[in-house]
Amino acid sequence: MSTDRTTLSFHVNGDPQAVAIPIHRTLLEVLRDELALTGAKKGCNTGTCGACNVLVDDVMIRSCLRLAVSVAECKVTTVEGLARNGMPSVVQQAFLDAGAIQCGFCMTGMIVSASALLAQNPAPTRDEIRIAISGNLCRCSGYVKVVDAIELAASRFRQGNAAEAAAMEIRI
Amino acid sequence: MVAGMNAGLPKPSQVVSLQDIPGLRGMIVEADGAVRIAAMTVHAAVAAESRLAGGLAVVREAALQIAHPAIRNMGTLGGSLADADPNADYPCALLAAGADIELAGPRGRRICPVDAFFLGRFTTALAAGEIIVGVKLPPPALEETSTYLKFSRVDGDYATVSVAVRMGWRDGACTAIRIALGSCGGTPIRVPSAERALVGTKLDVAALRIAAGAYVAACDPPSDFRGTADYRRMIIPGLLERAVRNALNADRGIRS
Repeated sequence: MSTDRTTLSFHVNGDPQAVAIPIHRTLLEVLRDELALTGAKKGCNTGTCGACNVLVDDVMIRSCLRLAVSVAECKVTTVEGLARNGMPSVVQQAFLDAGAIQCGFCMTGMIVSASALLAQNPAPTRDEIRIAISGNLCRCSGYVKVVDAIELAASRFRQGNAAEAAAMEIRI
Repeated sequence: MVAGMNAGLPKPSQVVSLQDIPGLRGMIVEADGAVRIAAMTVHAAVAAESRLAGGLAVVREAALQIAHPAIRNMGTLGGSLADADPNADYPCALLAAGADIELAGPRGRRICPVDAFFLGRFTTALAAGEIIVGVKLPPPALEETSTYLKFSRVDGDYATVSVAVRMGWRDGACTAIRIALGSCGGTPIRVPSAERALVGTKLDVAALRIAAGAYVAACDPPSDFRGTADYRRMIIPGLLERAVRNALNADRGIRS
């Protein structure tokens, strides 16, 4: 493996960052080990479990499968970046209120998936919700409360301007 | 590839990204109806392409069934073809669609028909230094229909068995048909003699059973955690019949 290093410049949760990294580091490793953003988890590290989901330019991806150098000058949003002024986002609060957090390991990836879904589709059916989180594995197997939480978040969005509000959550 | 690197293999000394090369993303429809999809187009973009209809719907339906949303936002058409995983969805769908794979390398560009592209497990006709530029799908005829039917243990898994069909249908009879079978050997397979025997028939159950028997005989399925070879052989006939029926129902409202 190469020992070459480079300086990666990108935006994370609204802040510009420049970090010196070995060129083979994944985005997940840079977020966790260089920037101490440990919300995205290293579960399987092979793209299967979904615990490392983040948004790159508002598109949900697996951060364990992206080499960090490939997000140069991009805008990265992690689960930490969804909160506003220290307050949970609508989706995060709905997960708390619905009792969907459980052991917590898969949950940050679930919340990123849910936020990405609601930004595109503010009124999803339960089937659409299940498809949206189909790439998130939960070893507690507590998927029902997760679906409930996303429905709850969607209903809270509908009380305002749904599409705009959901889109706002992932845009920084 | 990064998943493999994370798991300790392969250990490439260099990685060259194609992500910023202009012209390697997106889809265009040419004057004659042929469709070109550039190699770096992600699965999610292909899955959302309403222009992939009729005889080309098989490609859109395959893209929609690859893995999960985050993966469909990352994975590319060219990446899937170059990887040549025998269980992947695109190779099977493109074989049924009759695609041409467009390659570029140090000695220029060339076209490789999909029938000659997949040589074995994770092995393709790509020469050293060549990359996939895109695929060209033959123009869909008016009377054509197609579908991709995937049988998997859980949503988003690789197929246990998959069937892709592209066919023509006029005046209650089959005018042309390509059937590709996936996850049943080192590459997706076609059985041209069985396809030819279906042309002119009404694609009734009896005719499809004979065709399915030829596919069962020609394939060499693995036994793994998704199913034994015998199990796969057992479900091929039902899946093949259902795929053809779905394709007919999708565009024609006809029940065979």
